[in-house]
Amino acid sequence: MGLVQREIEKAGIPTIGISIVREYTEKVQPPRTVYVKWPFGHPLGEPGNVKQQRAVILEAFRVLYSVAAPGEIVDLPFRWRRYDYESYEEPKEFVPNQ
Amino acid sequence: MSSRIKNQLIAKVITRFPRLAQRFITAYEPWESGEPTPWTAVTKPLSECRVALVTTSGVHHKDQLPFDMQDSEGDPSFREIEGATISKDYLITHDYYDHSDAEKDLNIILPIDRLRELQAAGTIGDLAARHYSFMGHIDGHHIATLIGKTARQVVEKLLQDEVDVVLLTPA
Repeated sequence: MGLVQREIEKAGIPTIGISIVREYTEKVQPPRTVYVKWPFGHPLGEPGNVKQQRAVILEAFRVLYSVAAPGEIVDLPFRWRRYDYESYEEPKEFVPNQ
Repeated sequence: MSSRIKNQLIAKVITRFPRLAQRFITAYEPWESGEPTPWTAVTKPLSECRVALVTTSGVHHKDQLPFDMQDSEGDPSFREIEGATISKDYLITHDYYDHSDAEKDLNIILPIDRLRELQAAGTIGDLAARHYSFMGHIDGHHIATLIGKTARQVVEKLLQDEVDVVLLTPA
């Protein structure tokens, strides 16, 4: 996935990737990544868990706007079922820093 | 066919017992380009951006050609996904992960409904009409095809659709 991400970014479109295997992402070096230590096949979480899926997407967008250097991998604090997604505070806005 | 069944079984086991996955993770060496990491700064607020999804989860419309699971080096082709209809019309062709949960809720691999909600709320400016799906797990001579041809074709389509931001999801 990282290889495709790199090509899109190279063409001038900013990208953010979700990773479930940190080792691969470290090698492939996509521009920006959020990492979740979750089972294969579940990058956004569990079926029907809207809050969880939404939290991952919003964190991905937060990282898209906050990472300043290429290649960064941000570990998300979500611990699968052991995280209270109700308490997740959604970012208010997503704007470029400058 | 028997090797496909074996791969599907392994996928089910390592999804249920993630610790066992470590062996498979260590055995696979992803290709490293050796080139510097590309970078494009985000210049617009998200509320003004058109967002598209690119996934390597092997999802596709039912009437599209399935990904080739016989080739051990993978299938570097992609499928164009129509955002408006995919939730009601999808198949997943991928033997290297257990997609039984993704068959219950597509959003765990392709979060189209979540993005639509964010668009309705004004968090994202617009959702692209087309999205793109690969199968991942590309190896050997298919890497050159992926980078030199199919990824580039997807880039062309993203540029045609004036996409501002791409969110990528694995499986």
